[in-house]
Amino acid sequence: MNGAHFVVQALKEQNVTQVFGYPGGAIMPLYDALYDGGVDHLLCRHEQGAAMAAIGYARSTGKVGVCIATSGPGATNLITGLADALLDSVPVIAITGQVPTHLIGTDAFQEVDVLGLSLACTKHSFMVQTAEELGSVIEQAFEIATTGRPGPVLIDIPKDIQVGPSVAHALAKLMNTEKTLNIAAIDQAKTMIRASQKPLIYVGGGVGMANAVSELRDLIAATEIPSVCTLKAIGCIKHDSPYFMGMVGMHGSKASNLAIQECDLLIAIGARFDDRVTGKLDEFAPNAKVIHLDIDAAEIDKLRQVTLSMTDDLKQVLPAITIKPNIEQWQQHIAEMKVQHVSRYDHPGEPIFAPALLRQLAQTMPADTVICSDVGQHQMWVAQHMFVDRPENHISSSGLGTMGFGVPAAVGAQVARPNDTVIAVSGDGSFMMNVQELGTIKRRKLPVKILLIDNQRLGMVRQWQKLFFNGRYSETILTDNPDFVTLASAFDIPGETIATKSQIDQALQRLLNSDGPYLLHVSISEEENVWPLVPPGAPNDRMMESVE
Amino acid sequence: MINALTVEAKNSPEFLERLLRVCRHRGFTIQSINAEVNNTQHTTQINLTVCSERDISLLTKQIDKVVGVIGLTLLQQPENIKASA
Repeated sequence: MNGAHFVVQALKEQNVTQVFGYPGGAIMPLYDALYDGGVDHLLCRHEQGAAMAAIGYARSTGKVGVCIATSGPGATNLITGLADALLDSVPVIAITGQVPTHLIGTDAFQEVDVLGLSLACTKHSFMVQTAEELGSVIEQAFEIATTGRPGPVLIDIPKDIQVGPSVAHALAKLMNTEKTLNIAAIDQAKTMIRASQKPLIYVGGGVGMANAVSELRDLIAATEIPSVCTLKAIGCIKHDSPYFMGMVGMHGSKASNLAIQECDLLIAIGARFDDRVTGKLDEFAPNAKVIHLDIDAAEIDKLRQVTLSMTDDLKQVLPAITIKPNIEQWQQHIAEMKVQHVSRYDHPGEPIFAPALLRQLAQTMPADTVICSDVGQHQMWVAQHMFVDRPENHISSSGLGTMGFGVPAAVGAQVARPNDTVIAVSGDGSFMMNVQELGTIKRRKLPVKILLIDNQRLGMVRQWQKLFFNGRYSETILTDNPDFVTLASAFDIPGETIATKSQIDQALQRLLNSDGPYLLHVSISEEENVWPLVPPGAPNDRMMESVE
Repeated sequence: MINALTVEAKNSPEFLERLLRVCRHRGFTIQSINAEVNNTQHTTQINLTVCSERDISLLTKQIDKVVGVIGLTLLQQPENIKASA
């Protein structure tokens, strides 16, 4: 067995059945080992697509996503995907080939210092120095990627180690120290909750990553404390939960943002006070004491000084702090705000109103559909107007905001969950950033549904240019877009274009009922904006709700 | 404010690079640094002083997260040393 076969064997031992990648010179031995079978490999058409497919695979299942690339440009093409995984705390293993050990540092063909490149965009990274350490490196990489706050780990393997004899020896696992709950802190949390008149639960993506959705729902059901969530936490709370107000922050619901500003106790669970959530930080939740629960100690007091913090496993903490406060008046106020600020879908004329279209799609799509959103206005409309009831069913590039994410993420999700409907919601700008992944859909005959919302603009940038740059539309006009339906047909993906409300019902049925992939291209007005909007530098209660 | 830290880590070729990157990215300028390898224990000890307007805990918590760090000691509290102009 050589080093490359050893890597494949080690992946199997980590229960990896699926990898995404793109071959090249320095990783050829590993591809030769994959040729013998045992681990399914899906060829993506760009390494960035492979990284994002691995993210989609990981986020739709909770498993580790694995991507593979060669040295030099293969490795550099992974970088954006790794940064995306780091910002959204996704467990991804990236394996890159490297030039042979004796050529490292000589500026050899396709040599780049990938370890150096990885430092800012991975949780950790390894350069395998000897065959002896290969086993322990792989084992450590999986452990690091999945424990504590998850994240991407890169393993760079020189070609000579791939072709050389393996020394199958794994070191002992990293020490996992079991923590016991701090009883005093639990008691203090319960005292604070009991004393609060206006408590609010602010849920972040950490809840899903901690597999603590059930514990969170139990807490909310038992306490009836009103709640809001971040973009990454969509799906953690049932969308029809009585006192749940939806997403908070820049494009959050008005009720969520107002409730944050009014609350006297903010219970932040697996959330990190991101600037898109807080708006003007020193005016965020100005009247609130804060309880912060997060596995990552570095998030505590990073942006908001808190009254009480715990860095324990949420699955343990959430049941322990459950206590029902007496907050009928606050609940009544929240219920009234929800009604007062509910989204409206009445829209004049025949042109399609994207929020209403997405709402209808959410109401029509099968249960357990996975939505993979790209980045831009459509991403915010998905977050505001669609609804899912599992965090694994809403996959969106939340931290990095990576245009081009949606289609390859949908590839990964569809491979992971072949029996579920997977819909990529994209925009005309984002779609073109990884359009080559239509080739991956064709190759595997994946039944990915694509809803492409086309305003012939880089819509979110255009919106900001209109609002904050005096309507100077610098490089955001895309009237020279290709014919998307023809483009899809080149990859054997059928599709159609619609532009009026009367076409929506039947077009959605054709999208959802197609056996294979389908592109529904939707033309909308370039004038549509995402509302509400907290302007940059403003506190969350100063939302803009129209151009006027 | 200037703070003095001692970081002990498992020895690896790139550890110093990781540490320097974290310091820079989190807004701390290195005023002085000394690194020494212990070949018997396969560790590296790094003594450094850093300068920033930010609270030192923002850096120490990030360094604590770096894989391979065995120990971190904050030698002097912020109020003890003032940055020279």
